[in-house]
Amino acid sequence: MDIIQILPQLLSTGITFGAIYALVGLGFVTIARASQIINFAQGEFVMLGGMITFFLLNKIHLPYPLAALFAILIVVIIGFLLHLLVIYPLRKASLPILLMATLGASLFLSSASALLFGTLPKALPPFSARAPFEIGNISVSPQSLWVLVAAFLTLFSLYLLSHRTLLGKAMEASSTDPLGADLTGISRNLMIFLAFGVSAGIGSVAGIFITPIFYVSYHSGILIGLKGFIAAVLGGWGKHNGAILGGFALGVLESLSVAFIPSGYKDAIAFIVLLLILYIRPKGILGSPFIDSRRW
Amino acid sequence: MVDQVHKEFRRRDLLYSGALWLLSLIIPDPQLHYRREYRFRKRDLFYLLTILLLPLIWSDPHFHHIMVLGGIHGILALGLTLFLGYAGQISLGQAAFFGIGAYTTAVLTTRYGLPSFLAFWASALTAFLFAYLIGRPILKLKGYFLALATLGFGEIFLVMVRESPRLTGGVIGIFDIPFFSFAGFIFDTYLKQYYLIWGVLMGLVLFSKNLIRSKMGRAFLAVAASEDGASAVGIDVSRIKLGVFVIGAAFAGLAGSLFASVMSTANPETFSLNLSVLIVMMVILGGMGNLYGPIAGAIFLTYLIDELSRYQEYSLPIYGVILILLLIFFPDGIGTRLRIRLIYLISYWGRKRRREKVEL
Repeated sequence: MDIIQILPQLLSTGITFGAIYALVGLGFVTIARASQIINFAQGEFVMLGGMITFFLLNKIHLPYPLAALFAILIVVIIGFLLHLLVIYPLRKASLPILLMATLGASLFLSSASALLFGTLPKALPPFSARAPFEIGNISVSPQSLWVLVAAFLTLFSLYLLSHRTLLGKAMEASSTDPLGADLTGISRNLMIFLAFGVSAGIGSVAGIFITPIFYVSYHSGILIGLKGFIAAVLGGWGKHNGAILGGFALGVLESLSVAFIPSGYKDAIAFIVLLLILYIRPKGILGSPFIDSRRW
Repeated sequence: MVDQVHKEFRRRDLLYSGALWLLSLIIPDPQLHYRREYRFRKRDLFYLLTILLLPLIWSDPHFHHIMVLGGIHGILALGLTLFLGYAGQISLGQAAFFGIGAYTTAVLTTRYGLPSFLAFWASALTAFLFAYLIGRPILKLKGYFLALATLGFGEIFLVMVRESPRLTGGVIGIFDIPFFSFAGFIFDTYLKQYYLIWGVLMGLVLFSKNLIRSKMGRAFLAVAASEDGASAVGIDVSRIKLGVFVIGAAFAGLAGSLFASVMSTANPETFSLNLSVLIVMMVILGGMGNLYGPIAGAIFLTYLIDELSRYQEYSLPIYGVILILLLIFFPDGIGTRLRIRLIYLISYWGRKRRREKVEL
């Protein structure tokens, strides 16, 4: 009885969180579509997006839209630097080394942001009117709708980028067939470089949209990043719509689980989902263009 | 004239081989597994004596403490090097097995009053069983996805520990774990703990040395080189991978047990992702496919973290930068790279001198 009553509310929270995971997952997918690298510092882009906007808004007193724009620019530059300083020198390295390097970069970014912006958790003001409105007996905050809109706009623009422009095609080619891309004169390093920029941009957008919903502190990046990654794997590794679907599925699962098990276990749900999906169907719900007999 | 050249050549040869011999004592051999027979080499004697005499010569308690921690990390790195360096699989969940070992010892000794010697073996067994249960489904994955799955296991372990305070003490952890004792002898000073841990480590090194020369150890290398190739010559790939995963986990369980009874606390913060990353770094910096390298890497990184902790809040960013720089400049291990570099330099120096002779 009790559970039935709170279910719709949990569902709406789950959809909000799902949109967040979907946005973060899209960042992973962008890089994976260009280079098959998994960037563990993706979560830090999200954290930095929120942190830098907060800093520009409250310390430098820029207007909100300008602060957000500058934050996205700064994070994109950080993404480019990450590629130039870490990924590019290691372009011929083996997998564990790349993995460790991105984890090291993640450690550096999170601890440096603790140093620069302080260790206290931070929250941005919401974008529009503060009062949550009611649909039936569910209360929905306007910010959740903003996050949904952001997720679908990002999906749409990524779709345009990868299906309607030559640049997107070139990025995809450099991942699916490196030799072919080289032969047709596509600079693979440039494509990966651009993919890092785009992915950092998506991450910072996600950060700016979610910081009004929950507090972001310097160490929250890694968990958000991992959950976004799990969302991308769940939906189908390497597919934009897969990341969106996986994000919503994960968000809803996580928030519904609160009704049945103690809320402390909430963080474990995502990882249990990861283990299950990797065991039962590693391709994810929608299937994956990258996971084939070569890698599995 | 001829006589002189001959004589000069012999003198130089002696010089080089002397330098190389000294080098070979200190720097781990990257091609260890290509040697046919295992004998007790001079190098092993050198390491053994160094380890035995070092704390007596350098009797600084802080140094002993670092070496105790370094030894525990060394056991962890040794377990992972079998998995990562020999069998070519990657695991970011080693800290979870370390934690399982530590909590087994902590719970058994404080709640049930078991002697720590028995808890020591029980820890290895528990880690072994958990690894068996987890490894069966996980190990069909490869590459990034294996790393992610093991990382997920580590995170689930942490959540479980935090959320079951009745058994594990929750976020606070367990305190007052008794020191390791065997037959009435209590290891309560850093010096005694040093000999305990390095003794265990030597036993495990001996075990690993024999293991990698066994049929199973050869199979690790085959699996690392090519799984299809390995299964084509009749190696049961999934069994080998499970075997090496389970052995690595048992090592981590032993290390965890020692950690709990040396530090006499166990709390979930210790067993986070950072520790797993650290262990993988030790193996990478030590060099893939040799046994002494990761132990040297463990001591080096333990020392580095201790040094960096002096810089308070700057320590973590500096640590991150150092990790990335080490990865960029020594992607195949410090020892391996240094050795190749030094051999090259020595030979270059020799060639240059000879070239100058000819020109004159």
